[in-house]
Amino acid sequence: MISLVSYLAISLLLFFIGLTLMIARKNIVAILLGIELILNAAALNFVAYSRFAASNIDGHIFSLFVIVIAAAEAAVGLAIVIHYFQLKETIHIDEATELRN
Amino acid sequence: MYVNILFLTSALLTVGCAVAMLIARNIMHSCIFLLGTLIGIAGLYVTLGADFVAVTQTMVYVGGIVILMLFAVMLTGGKEFVSRAQKLLGLIPAMGNKWSFGIAFLTSFVFVLSQFVLIKNIVKGVEVTKEAKPFVSTVEEIGELLLTDHVLAFELSSVLLLGALIGAAIIARPRKERVAND
Repeated sequence: MISLVSYLAISLLLFFIGLTLMIARKNIVAILLGIELILNAAALNFVAYSRFAASNIDGHIFSLFVIVIAAAEAAVGLAIVIHYFQLKETIHIDEATELRN
Repeated sequence: MYVNILFLTSALLTVGCAVAMLIARNIMHSCIFLLGTLIGIAGLYVTLGADFVAVTQTMVYVGGIVILMLFAVMLTGGKEFVSRAQKLLGLIPAMGNKWSFGIAFLTSFVFVLSQFVLIKNIVKGVEVTKEAKPFVSTVEEIGELLLTDHVLAFELSSVLLLGALIGAAIIARPRKERVAND
């Protein structure tokens, strides 16, 4: 019943929603939320292919590295957002052009 | 049997919470729905037999990144950027207007479709196994692989994490010190 295609469909939906979130929202934190969704869709694909189309578990390793990269990206991205908010008192993406006074 | 139930529950949780993230007005609610999505993905990892990845996902994402996101939302006020002039779609999308949402839907649809066609044409030779592999613990194998085949990436990721931590601490330090130093 559970096949590779069902996992790929879930991953496709997640990627689609994440991309829409990234493009449409005007709040920088919401854009970071969209990036998290996209990274999760990619990691899910790695693990699904590792189970159904490969004999080794290298896909698990790749998804672990994706999680590590996502953690680093979230930390630095949110630090930049907080610093920008302290400077400019706004987090609208269209007004974010410089990070210092 | 149990795997099927877990798969259906996790898939519904994942996709439902992702859609709710997209249409939630309040960015705080979006963060909470991200929590549901990540828990659902951890359940999907369990149905794929990836126990270590599922636990890592729960600990790092659900316990770490979502909390970080909530901190960022609360520190930046979580302001909505909804133009009050719009009527029809003004109820649904938050922090954007209907044009941005329409263009985003179109763009991501075209992008996903093109990638789908591309990948379908390239990867035709993937052999998909039909029989379900038995669920075995993957922790030992992952530990071995990380310290033998993928040791370079492992060490590089530790350097990357250190750099990201120091960089985040330097960037986000309070402004008072800087003013005092100047």
